[in-house]
Amino acid sequence: MSIDQLKENRAIIVVYFILFLLLVVSTLFSETFLTYRNITNVLRQAVSIGFVSLGQTFVILTAGIDLSVGSVISLTSCLSAGLMLGRDSMMIPVVGLVIAVALVVGFCNGLIIVKTGISPLIVTLGTMSIVQGAVLVYTHAAYGEVSPAFMFLAWGEIGSIPFPVFLLFAAGVLGIFVLRRTPFGRHIYAIGGNEEVARLSGVKTEKIKIYTYMICSFSAALTGLYLSSRMGMGDPLIGAPYMLDSLVPVLIGGTLLSGGKGGLVGTFAGIFILTVLSNSLNHLEISGYWQWIVEGAIILGAVSFYEKRKT
Amino acid sequence: MSSPMIERTSMEMNDNIFEMQRISKSFPGVQAIDHVDFSCISGEVHALVGENGAGKSTLMKVLAGVYQPDGGKIIVRDKEALFNSPKEAQNCGISIIFQEFNLIPELEVAENIFLGREPLRNKGLVIDNDLIYARSKELLESLGTFIDPRSKVKNLSVAQQQMVEIAKALCLNAEIIVMDEPSAVVSGKELDSLFAIIRSLRDNGKAVVYISHRIDEIFQIADRATVLKDGKLVGTVRPKDIDKPTIVRMMVGRDLDQTFPPKEMGERKEILSLKNICRDRVLKDVSLKVYTGEILGIAGLVGSGRTNLARVIFGADSFDSGKIYYQGEKTKMISPKISLSRGVGFVTEDRKKEGIVGCFSVRKNLTSLILDKMRRWCFTNDVEEKRLAKTCVKKFNIMTPGIEQEIQYLSGGNQQKVILAKWINANPKLIIMDEPTRGIDVGAKAEIYNTMRLMAKQDKALIMISSELPEIMGMSDRIVVMHQGEIIGEISSSEATEEGILMMATGQVKKNGKESIREY
Repeated sequence: MSIDQLKENRAIIVVYFILFLLLVVSTLFSETFLTYRNITNVLRQAVSIGFVSLGQTFVILTAGIDLSVGSVISLTSCLSAGLMLGRDSMMIPVVGLVIAVALVVGFCNGLIIVKTGISPLIVTLGTMSIVQGAVLVYTHAAYGEVSPAFMFLAWGEIGSIPFPVFLLFAAGVLGIFVLRRTPFGRHIYAIGGNEEVARLSGVKTEKIKIYTYMICSFSAALTGLYLSSRMGMGDPLIGAPYMLDSLVPVLIGGTLLSGGKGGLVGTFAGIFILTVLSNSLNHLEISGYWQWIVEGAIILGAVSFYEKRKT
Repeated sequence: MSSPMIERTSMEMNDNIFEMQRISKSFPGVQAIDHVDFSCISGEVHALVGENGAGKSTLMKVLAGVYQPDGGKIIVRDKEALFNSPKEAQNCGISIIFQEFNLIPELEVAENIFLGREPLRNKGLVIDNDLIYARSKELLESLGTFIDPRSKVKNLSVAQQQMVEIAKALCLNAEIIVMDEPSAVVSGKELDSLFAIIRSLRDNGKAVVYISHRIDEIFQIADRATVLKDGKLVGTVRPKDIDKPTIVRMMVGRDLDQTFPPKEMGERKEILSLKNICRDRVLKDVSLKVYTGEILGIAGLVGSGRTNLARVIFGADSFDSGKIYYQGEKTKMISPKISLSRGVGFVTEDRKKEGIVGCFSVRKNLTSLILDKMRRWCFTNDVEEKRLAKTCVKKFNIMTPGIEQEIQYLSGGNQQKVILAKWINANPKLIIMDEPTRGIDVGAKAEIYNTMRLMAKQDKALIMISSELPEIMGMSDRIVVMHQGEIIGEISSSEATEEGILMMATGQVKKNGKESIREY
């Protein structure tokens, strides 16, 4: 690796180093950290935040943001459990329908953003409210029952490794491949780098931005399905914390909110930093409120580090 | 317009690779172009000239599909074409190299060249990176440059970025290449090599449209020149048949002698002194004295540290070591706010980004520095503000429909006049002007020169940074030349020659005055 490349990848190196340090410290401070039970627990936690953060990375790379993911997670969680009602026969059609609904939300987000020119922050704040409202009209309490076969999504294991972990890594690898090696991926970076230039170079910026919002909603749907599978039922408010939490791994991972720089490799580290940290703080019996404080400090530290590096 | 030198373009209709007929385009409040005809044949360099705001760029953006015309038609290779997007124009062989480069800094050179039409490996889903690197290298070498296709664009110099742009156009198999004021960003040797490339493109049968408002260049490079004024076609001429005054007259619609106001100075008193200022790698050991009542010119190439020096003096950037004395007093910390309170003003180079608030009215831009002084209790004093704005518009001859017009709709020259007026209202003792006449038409230039000279006569200290040598020599009472962050030398304006300044600015004269052999 040349010096230029090292410089370019400094964010990745630093963020993985922090993850490594965190793992070492966690192991030293807690006997239970390195047990099989705890590791699978951390991995399962990583899955729920993981899917949605991967999708969020795509949007943020184009200099956008998607705040509607939380309500999409609630929606998919409630719809999947509410329509399946414990019937295995309904599993595939319901999953298909739920994903289609999520894609429609993403499509609407993207379409409104590119056609009206309203800031993504406001557009997705609006759709978040609409979708969340719709979910609460549908049900205002935990509802439904997923089918037994569907439970495999969250609880299944392949060779003693939780099944969803494979799914998350598969999604991550696919995402990295798309971003690095396909024209679609390169155009995402180009749009984040300078949208007007990309447009003038013949990049179909509107189409690509709509796609990124659809990807983001799709990934939120995966998180929603995973959560309903894990709980066995739908919860109309389960997605709420993900609105902001999904941004944290992306930002810690070195993707700039201003777009054009970063990627999924960093997001992956961000996902695990977040989950390992919350797991360790749990072991140390530190209250959840303190976790918020630590999380906030990490975001501020990480982002100011990247911003400083930019100049 | 019945001059025999001015030929009608439609005479050569059959050879035209493209022809624009009676094109019109308007924006809110302005008729940018008005029934303009323009055409080009293969194997010629066709200059498009006119003052700023004449509609040159707009016309070419219509050709490139960036704007859709309100009226008229475009014929490319004998077929009528209507481009709804830049991509459609590209597919028709039209490439435009904008003033602000169309490159994405965070992407690599090769990625930029192939942006929007990445070749796929085996027609699959994956970008064929081997191909794009190899092809980019080939293209860049054919232009005589050796830029690494893998380096990120943000690490390239401006001239290198221009080469990447040209490579991008060639990669598109462009038959028609439009260059929007390329000389605004490169100068000297780099401009010469650009001209060499343009000539070789022409000899290879490309049609090159060269947009410029610098008359000298037109005579150097163009086979034909079309002049626009206020969005209207003035005429098309062959530079070899006419002389400079004729083309100037066509551009400005009147005779204009490009003379600078006589060098009258005010009371000379030291106001600012820099001792051994260093900043990172951009300023090395800079010592400088600035006096009231005179205009100090800072010459040097783009990137020589001129702007960095200005920013340090104003307090927009910090410095690592050295001392700054302002009116004999040593100052440690400077910030823009402190500078303003001391009466130091800074007219920045980048008007759009650092000079104006685009969506504010002319009035609000004019009074932004002095709002504090003219408020009544804690409210802004509207009556006073309006009165002042009206006076300024009249005094500085600012062409605007009214003081409430949003400044972004004014031409560059008028925007610059507003900025100058704004600073003069604040009554500064020292004012730094970074490229005060960049991208400004000839008429507005003269007005700005007169204003600057008037300020010097009124005992103000002026620092003027400029890339244009005639301007440096014509306006400055004293000239310092910078090269790679150092002040190479100081010359009085009476001793200055263009060659002498250029030798210093390009580093062919070392600091001690001895000539050195340049290493490549």
